[in-house]
Amino acid sequence: MTMEGMRKQSTNRAKRGVILTLSALLMGASVLLWGESPSGSSGALDQDRHLDKNPVREEKGLELRKTGWTYDCMECHASLKAKWHLGDQLMEHRDLELNHGSNRFCLNCHHPENRNVFVDYDGSEIAEEDVVLLCGKCHGPQHRDWMKGAHGRRNGYWDVSRGESEKLACIQCHDPHDPAFKAMEPLAGPTYPARAAGKPEKKSHHEEGDSNHGD
Amino acid sequence: MATEGKSGQESRPVEDVLQPMTRRTFLRGSAASLVGMAGVVAALKPLLELEAGELSMEELLQRHYKKLEVEDLHRIMKNLEGKCKREYGIRPQMQDLKPGEGVEFAYALNLSACIGCRKCAHACLAENNQSREDANDINMSYIRVLEMDKGAINVEESDHYYDSATVPQKDKYYMPVQCHQCRNAPCVKACPVEATWQENDGVVVVDYNWCIGCRYCMAACPYDARRFNYKKPTLESTQVNPNQNYLSNRVRPKGVVEKCTFCLQRTRAGRLPACLEVCPTGARIFGNILDPDSEINHILQNKRVYVLKEDVGTNPRFYYFFD
Repeated sequence: MTMEGMRKQSTNRAKRGVILTLSALLMGASVLLWGESPSGSSGALDQDRHLDKNPVREEKGLELRKTGWTYDCMECHASLKAKWHLGDQLMEHRDLELNHGSNRFCLNCHHPENRNVFVDYDGSEIAEEDVVLLCGKCHGPQHRDWMKGAHGRRNGYWDVSRGESEKLACIQCHDPHDPAFKAMEPLAGPTYPARAAGKPEKKSHHEEGDSNHGD
Repeated sequence: MATEGKSGQESRPVEDVLQPMTRRTFLRGSAASLVGMAGVVAALKPLLELEAGELSMEELLQRHYKKLEVEDLHRIMKNLEGKCKREYGIRPQMQDLKPGEGVEFAYALNLSACIGCRKCAHACLAENNQSREDANDINMSYIRVLEMDKGAINVEESDHYYDSATVPQKDKYYMPVQCHQCRNAPCVKACPVEATWQENDGVVVVDYNWCIGCRYCMAACPYDARRFNYKKPTLESTQVNPNQNYLSNRVRPKGVVEKCTFCLQRTRAGRLPACLEVCPTGARIFGNILDPDSEINHILQNKRVYVLKEDVGTNPRFYYFFD
């Protein structure tokens, strides 16, 4: 890398840092403002602070990107050539495990030259925000259902004349490298009525370690 | 002849026939009058509550929701806001949203997607101001998630107390059940005082100030969709949702029945219900079936939907499907 390029990069970093700090300050201020605003300010969706609407999958880097981080893959991949297989990784992507059925090649999805975008059948580029189109290359029925609202979650308004309806994208719920939906811990259930007859006997996993049933 | 002789034999002295006061009849009589007294005391209970300040004269004499003048309702809602502030430490913003023109709600749930995580049941509690003893107490939630063996829809063998370490369990599937907002609602027919009825957008609502707490509706409901307030709801001020509606999620008084209203405080403002907004798998679809382009209409036309307990003839607005 030339001196010119390095300087450019360092100024970019500095810019990023400023943006990061600024947005952190802004976020802090908005939290303060929310805390002081009278409860139930109508209209705004901040009424939903009591609901956990986060998608299941913490998208890596998304928070950073929101605060100004560009996440430019070409910073490294300008010099490092693309590979079809996920082989031995030297530094980056070591935490990656590819468990996507018969889709075993990096370049099935990632563009061989421009690593910031995805690749279509004909080698053309699919922008990062259009990731749904990439998944639709193979998962046609799911893509159709998603378009029609039968797959994936909506948030916001059912009546789009009154507010926005937000569709979650594929990768907000499915890890593209390991797309099967993960098992999760259930939240607490209802309690068995104290004065009722004993909890019915069950054949399954509940049996071991719980012999008090049926008294 | 024979009968005459017999009756002559059986004729008893007048004291026996009149049953003079014996120990037994005295006790029986006093027990009966005690029961009667208890009834009188119970009937007068609203007056006692009035005396204690738990009930205002206005609430006691309040008319049925449908017969209230607009300004009366607004005054009542202002009073309820003040009451909530006094009792729970937070002043809500109470509204009375009316059904929209050309809107009929319906709900669909994808059983292939549901994993039984119970996030909907907990969100229901956070949204609708039900009573709870602690943060994990969802006994008053309007949603019960049934765990069933794969291969059949056997509700009788289902378990909603499941406590496995992770969900979904192998060989199990999960079916959340809540109010189905039936077109032919047995609960509405069972109510002796018309405190519950169906509105034009299909939502079955309860006038909590008119409900007498007889719980006939709970017995009539085939989906276990209604909950009874055995006591004054316990709620921390931080747990109160200030976005309240008169016919849905305002904090209920003791002794009345409450139920799912498809979150009408949200849905009549155009928003999605709370249970849908938190679903991690996107198993829930909600919308207006009178809109031909709505997502819910797409489901009803293209997926093989079915309704729970179709044979009881309730004709629900809640549909399940596998895909």
